Amino acid sequence: MLAIANLKKSFSTSAGDVPAVNDVSFTAKPGEMVAIIGPSGSGKSTLLSMLGLLDSPDSGSLTLDGRELASLSPAERTHFRAKQVGFVFQQFNLIPNLTARENIMLSLEFAEFPKSQRRARADEMLTMVGLTSDKGDRRPAKLSGGEQQRVAIARAFANRPPLILADEPTGSLDRATGKKIVALLREAASAQDATVLVVTHDEAVAQQADRRLEIEDGVLTEIA
Amino acid sequence: MNAVTRGVKNTFRNSIRTVGIIAILTVAIALSISMLVARDAVNTKISSVRATTGNTISVSPAGFFGFSGGGTALTTAEIDKISSIAHVTSVRSAFTQRLTSTDTSLTAPTPSGTLGNQFGGGFGGGGGGGGFGGGGTFTPPVRVVGTNSPGTALVGGANGGGTEKLTAGTAFAANSSADVAVIGTNLASTNSLQVGSSFTAWGKTITVVGIYSAQSTFADSEVLMPLATVQTLSGNPHSVDSATVYVDSVDNVSAVQTQIKAQLGTAADVTNVQQQAEEQLAPLNSVKTITTYTLIGTVIGAGIILLLSMLMIVRERRREIGVLKALGAPNASVIRQFIAEATTFTVLGSLFGFIAGILLANPITTTLVNNSSNAATTGGGRFGFGGGSFGGGGGGGGGGFHFGGFRSFGNALTSVHTSVGWSTLAFAFVIALLVAVIGSSVAVATIARVRPAEVLRSE
Repeated sequence: MLAIANLKKSFSTSAGDVPAVNDVSFTAKPGEMVAIIGPSGSGKSTLLSMLGLLDSPDSGSLTLDGRELASLSPAERTHFRAKQVGFVFQQFNLIPNLTARENIMLSLEFAEFPKSQRRARADEMLTMVGLTSDKGDRRPAKLSGGEQQRVAIARAFANRPPLILADEPTGSLDRATGKKIVALLREAASAQDATVLVVTHDEAVAQQADRRLEIEDGVLTEIA
Repeated sequence: MNAVTRGVKNTFRNSIRTVGIIAILTVAIALSISMLVARDAVNTKISSVRATTGNTISVSPAGFFGFSGGGTALTTAEIDKISSIAHVTSVRSAFTQRLTSTDTSLTAPTPSGTLGNQFGGGFGGGGGGGGFGGGGTFTPPVRVVGTNSPGTALVGGANGGGTEKLTAGTAFAANSSADVAVIGTNLASTNSLQVGSSFTAWGKTITVVGIYSAQSTFADSEVLMPLATVQTLSGNPHSVDSATVYVDSVDNVSAVQTQIKAQLGTAADVTNVQQQAEEQLAPLNSVKTITTYTLIGTVIGAGIILLLSMLMIVRERRREIGVLKALGAPNASVIRQFIAEATTFTVLGSLFGFIAGILLANPITTTLVNNSSNAATTGGGRFGFGGGSFGGGGGGGGGGFHFGGFRSFGNALTSVHTSVGWSTLAFAFVIALLVAVIGSSVAVATIARVRPAEVLRSE
């Protein structure tokens, strides 16, 4: 269970402190897919950075399965990210000189997944996201955008993290492919009982989620 | 695939850049290795020259320079005082005279030849006054060296030869005053002398007790006799015209030289062979300095090249570093990956650079040494006449100034041989390591500062 309470984050500018996330609270259950929608600059990416422990909140509480995360040390945050969080980015962010399979194995390496089982697990993930084994031998540049995002999803789910954070996962894809990718995210979340938070400004994507939250000027509200 | 493997793989990510970086590193490291080998070769040469010349001091009457100089002979008593100075292990004294045809039954074997007539006619004509005349012919005198050090009287290559070696008979005792002589093979052959034969000198019958060879036509035309005998027969009792002082250690040469100067004052010229050697070695020392600075410069240059290349690579892959960190890669793992990449560049650059450096080392060393010693050629020429034993028969003063050694020494200095030993390999390894460390340092600091949130926010 992911639980956020009174999370705040502001940035210093020449005009003074600008609140990016203002007193945000919500919970998300395992297997649930939650969409956070909002326009550019609304604070959704900042919220996602804090949930992924890439950034620290100024105040508030952030717990996953009862464990407080906001007070972790940098080394503990790194370790937590490796084992408990999966990321899916808008630009896929696959390592260009590694094959699709090696990209998936990379997250397994950081999560200290048993070395002897990494390749088999990567192949299993390729199958799960609908890619054939020969695609696993290709470098990202030899894959289509949709295929690259599938590899990114496989990488995110490979070590079975309880939390998946997807930042505009369909932003670089056409509508049809984007729809398939969101469906895939949803299936994976159900299959692995993971909480998936999808940040998007696309209402169509948000419609596919179990719940929708809207963020504007750093304030989060649930859409019924 | 661990961080190191990823780093090695990343080295070849951009083939054009990889070739460029490795090529530049190869040139820099090749130059470093060449300079290192050249420096070692020159150092070895300098050490060997110092080792052979470093612990002796030459003492001669002030103003005395072969047949060209005068000076008042030193005395045995003065030389004896030198022997008692601390750190002096031995003193080799000599008194050299010439026997003209009126003084001896010996015939000089050395033909005067064109040069001999030129110099001998000029210098020898006056019988005492010398003077630059010119023309005419003359009969070369026979040179007699009175020594208290038979067996090493010609050490140092006097008159172009080496140290004498007995080929027949025996040497006389160091403190002998008998009318005996050890003669050169050339002189023995010309005068049909052998061990047991005799000749006359200053009206006395001298018995040949030994025959020596010093591997030089000129040096093998001389007569070696006990110092006391020559002093007595020539009418110069207790006179010494050259002494070589041996010191127990190179480190004490300077102190002993100072004490000798203090004891003999202005009566003697006290020269340290080491000093003379240092003058001759100056060009090599210059080469050593040049190679040292070039070595340091190229190592720093190679380090900077790699540093800038790695910095460029890190900046270019800032997003990738952010992604790796976001996925849970610890800083150390990312840093290890980039260090592996820098090390692979260095290893490849070092490998090619080492091979090129070894190939270039000899020609570079030869060029540096030859160019630097060209400036010293004039200086070497000062000693070109190697003792100037041809002098006026009458009273031109003694000959036998032992400078022949320096001429051969000067020629030998250009002959520097390069070689690659374990120390060079170890040093090359250290150079490579240094380059890799310098090259990675800033990249490592930059990687540590990359914050994934900032990098990914700019998406």
